[in-house]
Amino acid sequence: MTRLALEQVGFVYPDGTRALDAVDLVVEPGASVALIGQNGSGKSTLVRHLNGLLRPTEGRVLHDGVDTAERRTAAMASVVGVAFQDPGRQIFSRRIRDEVAFGPRILGHSKERVVASVAEALELVGLTDVADQNPYDVGYSRRKLLALASVVAMETPVVVLDEPTTGQDARGVRRVATLVETLVTAGRTVIAVSHDMRFVAETFERVVVMQRGRVVLDGSVSEIFAEAAWPTLASSFIEPPVAARIGARLGLGSTPTERAFVDAMAARGGS
Amino acid sequence: MLRLAGVSYRYPGFATPALREVTLELRPGEIVGVVGANESGKSTLCLVASGLAPGSIGGELTTGSVEIDDRPTAGRPLHELATQVGIGFQNPATQLSGVAGSVFEEVALGPMDLGLPARETVERTKAALATLGIEELAERAPRRLSGGQGQLVVLAALLAMRPPYLVLDEPTAQLDPEGTRLVGEALGRLAATGTGLLIAEHKTDLLADVCDRVVVIDGGRLVAAGGVTEVLADPAMESYGIEPPSTVHLERALAERGLDPEVVRG
Amino acid sequence: MLGGYVGPIAIGVAMLLGARAAGVARALLRASLLLSLPIAVSVVLVSVFTRPGSTVLFTIGPFDATLEGVDFAAQTLVRLLAISLSIGLFLLTTEARAFVFDLERRGVPPRFTFVALATIEAVPTLVERAATIAESQRARGLDTEGGVRARVRGVLPLVGPAVITSLTDVEERSLALESRAFSRPGRRHLLWSMPDSGRERLLRVVLVLALLGAVVVRVAGVPLPVVG
Repeated sequence: MTRLALEQVGFVYPDGTRALDAVDLVVEPGASVALIGQNGSGKSTLVRHLNGLLRPTEGRVLHDGVDTAERRTAAMASVVGVAFQDPGRQIFSRRIRDEVAFGPRILGHSKERVVASVAEALELVGLTDVADQNPYDVGYSRRKLLALASVVAMETPVVVLDEPTTGQDARGVRRVATLVETLVTAGRTVIAVSHDMRFVAETFERVVVMQRGRVVLDGSVSEIFAEAAWPTLASSFIEPPVAARIGARLGLGSTPTERAFVDAMAARGGS
Repeated sequence: MLRLAGVSYRYPGFATPALREVTLELRPGEIVGVVGANESGKSTLCLVASGLAPGSIGGELTTGSVEIDDRPTAGRPLHELATQVGIGFQNPATQLSGVAGSVFEEVALGPMDLGLPARETVERTKAALATLGIEELAERAPRRLSGGQGQLVVLAALLAMRPPYLVLDEPTAQLDPEGTRLVGEALGRLAATGTGLLIAEHKTDLLADVCDRVVVIDGGRLVAAGGVTEVLADPAMESYGIEPPSTVHLERALAERGLDPEVVRG
Repeated sequence: MLGGYVGPIAIGVAMLLGARAAGVARALLRASLLLSLPIAVSVVLVSVFTRPGSTVLFTIGPFDATLEGVDFAAQTLVRLLAISLSIGLFLLTTEARAFVFDLERRGVPPRFTFVALATIEAVPTLVERAATIAESQRARGLDTEGGVRARVRGVLPLVGPAVITSLTDVEERSLALESRAFSRPGRRHLLWSMPDSGRERLLRVVLVLALLGAVVVRVAGVPLPVVG
């Protein structure tokens, strides 16, 4: 289990643009965190610091208290697995099963372990029945699930998902949500970048809001979508979930999820 | 009117049809939504309605016909069809031609390809940019646009062809909330010009805002049609893999608990 | 003996002067030298030692370096430079888009314009995409910094997605372009035209005539004062 820590992390691109500014972030093992913010807020840059694709120009990134500055990027893949948004940028195998097996094999897992983790990952995303098909013979949304399975099979303590629900239909979104919940229950850390606020509120415990390279809000789902935070969210063009908005209109306090909304209504006496 | 009359279509190399006996009408100025789970036939419907299937990708219309103002689209040259019905897809990057030095050039590409005289090309381009409200993007490089901006440029480029009908296959699927909002607004403007819009989408909240009516597709067949709110609120939609708009979802959750759903609408 | 040098050197100097006027002299020199270098090296090695000649300058093993050989190599090098400087100057001072559109105005089919421009544009896109793909695969543990074996293992995961996505992009783009009447046969009225002047037209005519003249002179074997 790995504790992630970013200490005063800053990052400036070679052309001078600053993408991260004094970011402090700690993620304990088993946490489920959603990272939200406008395009250009630094979310993607932050994600790339978690697994060493980018190295901070200021500050440190720590895995279990150890500075990652000296570790090679390829080595960090066994600790932090990242599934990027576009499945097309990584799929190259003839069969879905082989594609999922790529990551675990590169990490040097034993044959038995690879077979087991691949089967489990396919099951979790619902691709078991098409495991022997060509990834390009199934639709885009299933290829996205394939990308998720590919990272899950690596059995990393930390799993990072970049916009996992984009392009998914209702069933697909539910599947991703279930996947996240299963991983968290198993003790793995899940960090997701998303702009689907409903998915964020219903699936994650903690939300980190980024704006212009800084962390501007960091708290529980309930805190982040409470009315007090709305002005900050609005300045990033983020709209709280409908449940939160209606709950606020009815004076129910912070009700970011359907469950919270209904519970609050019931507590009030239902009118 | 753009009309699909009992249309069935199968892709080249496939035996089973992807669309089965679909009947659909679209009038100028109307906005009709198409909802359905992934791989239910939404994209196929869009390709068939635009004439690109079978016109460009092959395959066969096994039954029925697609007609614009009572003229079948089958067999007509694609560049001619482009002035009747345009089609937009979800990824702005692959719809931008890649050969335009500026947004203006990109939007002008279509009218130029039609062989129109330079003055008319410029006029149409300016009008299209104005309708979409993106005049200030005219000199920008198409590669450097955000997703939402890119889609607006694509819409302007399609509009410059002055087709009476536009088919849009999940125009906001790959966009962030800001991009979705931009495109949502643009759709209203497009319809206001008198263009008939057929929009396939997952985002039922967006459709509820924008559409006049909605059809539901499942397994290649149209299984429901009607006003946006009544169709999307129908509990049967769940079995088709369609999530109702968030408000409807909340209403149902309240009702399940024995609470009054009216409060959601307020 | 010096005759063979005059022509190419004159051209080379003219090109450099032109480049100076256009502000690209340094870039031109660098590019031409870099590009000519590989060929130049082999030319020199071969010619210096294998041209039949009488005056031996020095010997390395069984090979004699002759004065005639050095002369031949030098003449070849100078010609090579003249050619690369001219082509280089053209490439550096001509905007590709302008060139391609002007060709279309003169009758080349619009398809050609599209292919030429798309090819130019395809390169930066491919480079960006390659970087994105490398990122994704590194995130799965692929080592892009390691030894030979690691690199070989990385070929398919890096090249595969690039090829596949390029192909799917082409498919999607060609469908999208149908709605912009891309497949309509025939000419189109371009929005832009290349500025031209009487002087430039005259210059073009003179240059073409000079080229023809030079060919005729060479073929007819007319003796010119400086031909060596």
